[in-house]
Amino acid sequence: MVERTEKLTGFLADKLPKILLLIGTIALAFCAVSFGANPRQVLFSYMTAFIFFLALTLGSLFFILIHFLTRAGWSVILRRIAETLMKNIGLMAILFLPIAFFGMHELYHWTHAEAINDVILQKKAGYLNIRFFFIRAAVFFGIWFWLARVFYKNSVAQDATGDFAHTLKLQKYATFGVFLFALTLTFSVIDWVMSMTPHWYSTMFGVYYFAISTVLSLSVITILAMILRRSGFLKNEITVEHYHDMGKLVYGFNIFWTYIAFSQYFLIWYANIPEETIWFREHFMGSWNTVAVFLVLGHFVVPFLGFMSRHVKRNLTAHFVVVCWMVFMTIVDLYWVIMPNFSPEGIQISLLDFAAFVGIGGLYFGFYFLRLRKHALFPKRDPRLEESLHFHNV
Amino acid sequence: MSKKQFFGVVGEFKTPKSLMKAAEALRDAGYTQFETYSPFPIHGMDDAMGLKHSKLGWIVLCGGFTGLSCALALQWWTSAVDYKLTISGKPFFSYQAFVPVTFECMVLFSAFCAVFGMLALNRLPKLYHPVFKHSRFHDASSHSFFLSVDVKDPLYKTLETASFLHGLGGENLEEIED
Repeated sequence: MVERTEKLTGFLADKLPKILLLIGTIALAFCAVSFGANPRQVLFSYMTAFIFFLALTLGSLFFILIHFLTRAGWSVILRRIAETLMKNIGLMAILFLPIAFFGMHELYHWTHAEAINDVILQKKAGYLNIRFFFIRAAVFFGIWFWLARVFYKNSVAQDATGDFAHTLKLQKYATFGVFLFALTLTFSVIDWVMSMTPHWYSTMFGVYYFAISTVLSLSVITILAMILRRSGFLKNEITVEHYHDMGKLVYGFNIFWTYIAFSQYFLIWYANIPEETIWFREHFMGSWNTVAVFLVLGHFVVPFLGFMSRHVKRNLTAHFVVVCWMVFMTIVDLYWVIMPNFSPEGIQISLLDFAAFVGIGGLYFGFYFLRLRKHALFPKRDPRLEESLHFHNV
Repeated sequence: MSKKQFFGVVGEFKTPKSLMKAAEALRDAGYTQFETYSPFPIHGMDDAMGLKHSKLGWIVLCGGFTGLSCALALQWWTSAVDYKLTISGKPFFSYQAFVPVTFECMVLFSAFCAVFGMLALNRLPKLYHPVFKHSRFHDASSHSFFLSVDVKDPLYKTLETASFLHGLGGENLEEIED
């Protein structure tokens, strides 16, 4: 057998996490200090960043679930990178606490006392009330944390034993896991994002967020693999064949995103019912309309044409540029979904938007690399590892 | 007898590996007009044979673009020019409403181009192929592997090509009539 570097060492393992944690803490401290003067801005910026990194975490959970559900062989070598992202769900639960403690009033106007006079909100009060909201949030995080724990623990345990029973167990868990995932993701985004406009509803909103999270996490897994590659890790193991297939998935799910985003818009546009169209009216106001057009071009047309060719997917530099662009467009997308609730007249970029992203992102990837260095960089005794290493596109 | 009446030399190989090796050797020797036959797809055979990437993708792209523009033009002509009808107060040219049909036509034309383009590039359907004249070729659908070199190849010389194949592990070498 060939000797492989199994563990993360050097700059990525020692210095980078400290730097990231430091930057993250400073940026979040800046948000906390600004909270007194401008609580609304801080909360909405924080919420956008939170929803972004939650999408990344949940998308990675989905990657793991579908990996075991389909008994995939090719993706084994990439699995630890995704598992470690998924395991950050504990951090996301902690990062949710500021929203729960300080954000409810500013973010969700259905929590206001005068909501009792609103006929529609009155009827929704059985679901949209603070106590039930918190119970649901606890259930969502509980299920995610439990799933992430089971999948991570068994995967890591297999590194030591090489026991096939771990794989069989996770294949079993993936079956109902994927149902739990679909339901919790849908209802969580209804609670945390859709209820910012509590009069409005769209049954496609959950799927929309799912599409966002999948494109995002596939892109970030690719970026992380490329960063590891540049630092000399898994250079011969994650080959251009794996990148090619990740590219196909990013491409496919990006078209899926377009399909869902358009369907949501199309049905509401066609039916033309005021209580539904109001959301798009708000999101097409002023410069938000420019952002929407930019989304159509940047999130769909440009990657659709630019990432179609296999040569782009197999050229790692070009591939890197495209997936970074997809991450950027995901930020724009979530910003466009959430921020019009804060500044309805038009886009208003604030320093706090960046601070919240850098803050949560710093902590997120700081803890990510701290966890990544603890175990081997790939499931080293997975029974399908050899299949993954020899994977070849036809 | 002149060479033109012959299809080429066909040889049998016992394993996919030896077939792949033979294909690589032929490619490296400069042969271009040869074909391999196997009961199942062999990963990496395209590279071993030195085949270029298929042109099918470009055909599908053209088909898709044709479908897209035809569908858009049709809907624009019927709804906004030739027979204007006001439907739920929306503009005559409501591009949103045209998207599903445009999309479906693009997919339909692309699919047709993919299927029929594939058939055309493979020159299918074909009712007759000389390679079936090889005495053991029926095994190609169950457990044996074959390689044929076409007379049209500039490097083709019956005896030399046959002995080259023999040196690569080819058995039951036969020169097949066209």
